[in-house]
Amino acid sequence: MSETAQEKWGMVIDLDRCNGCQACVTACSLENNVGFVGEESAAYGRGMHWIRIQRYWEGEYPNITARFRPVMCQQCGHAPCEPVCPVFATYHSEAEQINVQVYNRCIGTRYCANNCPYVARTFNWFDWEWPEPLNEQLNPDVTVRRRGIMEKCTFCIQRIRKGEEDAEAEGREVADGEIQPACAQACPADAIVFGNLADPESRVSRLARSARAEKLLEELGTETKVIYLKGGSSRDR
Amino acid sequence: MSQQISRREFLKLLGAGAVTTAALSGCASATRLVKREPYTSMPEYTLPGTSTYYATTCRECPAGCGLVVRTVEGRAIKVEGNPAHPVSQGHTCARGQASVQTLYNPDRLQNAVRQAQRGSGKFDPMPWDEAIQVVQDALANNDPDSIAFLLGLESDHLADLVNEITAAMGARAPYRFGALGMLDARNTLVMANVLLFGHPGLPVFDIAHAEVTFSFGANFTETWLSPVFYTGAYGNMRKGTPGQRGYLVQFEPRMSQTGANADEWYPIKPGTEALVAQALGALVAEEIGIPTEGLFADVDVAAAARESGVSEEDLHRLAMMFAQSQRRVAIPGAGALGHTNGLDAAKAIMGLNILVENLGKSGGVSLMPESALGNTQMPSTLNDLTSLVEKMNSGKIKVLFIHGCNPVFELPAASGFADALQNVPLVVAFSSFPDETALQADFILPDHTGLEAWGYQKVSTASDRITLSSLQPVVVPVQDTRATADVLLAAVQAIGGDLAKQVPYENEVAFIKAKLEVLVGEDGYYAASDANTLWARWLQVGGWWDSDALLIAPDLTHAVEVLQKQPSALPAAAFSGDEAEYPLHLLVYPSPNLGDGRGANNPWLQETPDPMTTVMWNSWIEISPDLALELGVCDDDIVRVTSPAGSVEAVVYVYPAIRPDTVAIPVGQGHTALGRYARNRGCNPLQLLDIQKDASGNLAFAATRVKIEPTGRKHQLARMEDRVGVYGDRYGELYR
Repeated sequence: MSETAQEKWGMVIDLDRCNGCQACVTACSLENNVGFVGEESAAYGRGMHWIRIQRYWEGEYPNITARFRPVMCQQCGHAPCEPVCPVFATYHSEAEQINVQVYNRCIGTRYCANNCPYVARTFNWFDWEWPEPLNEQLNPDVTVRRRGIMEKCTFCIQRIRKGEEDAEAEGREVADGEIQPACAQACPADAIVFGNLADPESRVSRLARSARAEKLLEELGTETKVIYLKGGSSRDR
Repeated sequence: MSQQISRREFLKLLGAGAVTTAALSGCASATRLVKREPYTSMPEYTLPGTSTYYATTCRECPAGCGLVVRTVEGRAIKVEGNPAHPVSQGHTCARGQASVQTLYNPDRLQNAVRQAQRGSGKFDPMPWDEAIQVVQDALANNDPDSIAFLLGLESDHLADLVNEITAAMGARAPYRFGALGMLDARNTLVMANVLLFGHPGLPVFDIAHAEVTFSFGANFTETWLSPVFYTGAYGNMRKGTPGQRGYLVQFEPRMSQTGANADEWYPIKPGTEALVAQALGALVAEEIGIPTEGLFADVDVAAAARESGVSEEDLHRLAMMFAQSQRRVAIPGAGALGHTNGLDAAKAIMGLNILVENLGKSGGVSLMPESALGNTQMPSTLNDLTSLVEKMNSGKIKVLFIHGCNPVFELPAASGFADALQNVPLVVAFSSFPDETALQADFILPDHTGLEAWGYQKVSTASDRITLSSLQPVVVPVQDTRATADVLLAAVQAIGGDLAKQVPYENEVAFIKAKLEVLVGEDGYYAASDANTLWARWLQVGGWWDSDALLIAPDLTHAVEVLQKQPSALPAAAFSGDEAEYPLHLLVYPSPNLGDGRGANNPWLQETPDPMTTVMWNSWIEISPDLALELGVCDDDIVRVTSPAGSVEAVVYVYPAIRPDTVAIPVGQGHTALGRYARNRGCNPLQLLDIQKDASGNLAFAATRVKIEPTGRKHQLARMEDRVGVYGDRYGELYR
């Protein structure tokens, strides 16, 4: 395995802009046909969210504040989930340089989820229902997953493919900002920026070179493709 | 699924290879002829596998965000923001995203119904011509004085139409109501604007360019006025100007999601917002060297510090920060204005803006000019609604039409609205869902949901220019619903006579087109030389707005005069409930996910965690850790919350960022109707509120005290966060 992972698609999340509003969470779920599980299953931790906002309390009343951090699959260059899958359902896409999940191959061993340091993978413990006519809302570009299947954020690969195909049909390169996953598109604070990390001039590359840039659990050497920009301190009075 | 042939099934049919042309019977409407066509010559806009995008406007709150909805083969798939739209600027909030689940909700009404016995929930379907006959008879056979319309805050085109109809009939202008308007304290803010600037509208705060923002209980990244616009402004305040990071200071008793993002958060005592603003104003005036007169004269800073809980040292430091920065703005939010002294608080907080003369400037306060279609009709005050309730009770109202709001759920029980409904002989609801109010109606004539509807929204606040936002159907109606405007117009045409001459529109679209005539030739984001071009561009672009940012600067001289005449001794906030018996302040706030409660039947809104508590599918009462220890309750305990006006049961969430003398409950859950995902879930805290008003006649929704008693029962809240280690070591007992 090479020391540095190849780069292509990446995401920058500016925690100084993010205010934890959850628009990305809902947008992701509706784009990707993520099932809703109801109160009891949600209380058991079976929620299927591909992206979640982690809220951390800091300090004690009255000098208290909360911080927000959206976390989804970090699309590791060296992904702990990949080598443990016995059926190659979770593997690395050489073309897109992201981790993809082949639902048809998955047999539900859940090894990948146990090995993911970011708790980014969710497992379909049951078949979730979309009572008619709610099923009319399902996105035809995304497979509806069944019970016993592992799933996770795909960087909205259906949108990446669509953007690439459109560009190819017109005989041009994909323009910067042309492809947007659902979370980045919805974000009202413009905190999430998606683009090509291999292009040093792309907006995401420029932001990723910020002095505020950090990666989650960087010491694990997972070479994640999601880069966070640290928020300003609210406790520096 | 209904027995009609849907677009999708139809496509399956033609997948079988049928090439002949045939008319299919059994479709929704006799006028809709469906032709079988081969894949190679599909009707326009419906290439299989290709998306079609329609620009429209969100109807999940009154802000008027522009949307672009992706449709595939006649189905609405995904809501996206309209990048050209001045309000949404290409983005959406969670509620806007989930509006496809309003459209395809399994619990929608499928047709017009008659309810023989109110509240029974037993509906008899009725054909639409009979439904129109009901409206026609109600309008024709009653004294105009005894007919009342109660409309929601969206859409504005219906309010405009009903205003025309009531004016032509000589009936009372429609009432407008929405819990979001009530809990934003919109009336108080409008009244303050009228008194200070002579402007009957809402102000626009340029947070995006401010160096320092003082927010007095304004939860502007959640639900306040226009969350998508202000969340965008928040992002730009932090990072939009190179070399500048805007500084946000929040004053509120309970940390909102906006407060969590503030640089400084002050848990001030409820009702002391005006005092804090006065103290800051006096200190700011001193710092910038202007005489303190009227409202800011002889302010006792030490007393304000004592009352509010903000130290004198902090007040001095904050005042210096405000006075010395170049661009600074103070925002009178709902939390500050929802008290009996709310109007004074609004004046004092706006007074800070007037002192530093930021009116009409970058990073300051501006006003929205009147659009070509006129001003937005503002929500009715609680005074107006109380007088409506009195008229209903005294039998003066014979017919009540209710559209776009759910007053039985959204108005405090103490307002007596639900009981007053019993005294109205005919109640017609136009709700798309069997909600609590619709269940008390004789007839429910369901309107389309937002994504199936025509219309427009006149953006009344939170845009940098005059903005008219258009609605168009992105799919054919899913159920056999009919636009309320069409129902009313059909009834008016059937009545005929003078009324039909004065309201001469054939249908809803004709009405909208007639209203838009004034825009022909107007220079804006586009200019259209004739009505047809305008209509095409209006639908394509998603509305009409100015080409450049343009807002009005409020009149400083007049505002200064008003403040100079204002005495500085302000009445203290009054509270309902004796302090000894009801020791705790109750704060209600609209749920960031469910809004005023209409989102409660959207399963993905229920499953979206609350930003601060990460709770899903329920509501809760926020109690500080110290108070929890004192009461001997911990997470997931069910407690009984009692106020002088009512009582509910709520599940405890120990919330580390709330004053120990305050508890908070989100609004949105506690439905007894609406649908399977909403019903019997959590509690509705509006039922606890006593009727207290401020000087503008708005509900002082933060002026009720409560007491809490443990019930000994538990309900485990579904939350995304871990339960251990949240509150710090001092509170180990709370993990029981």
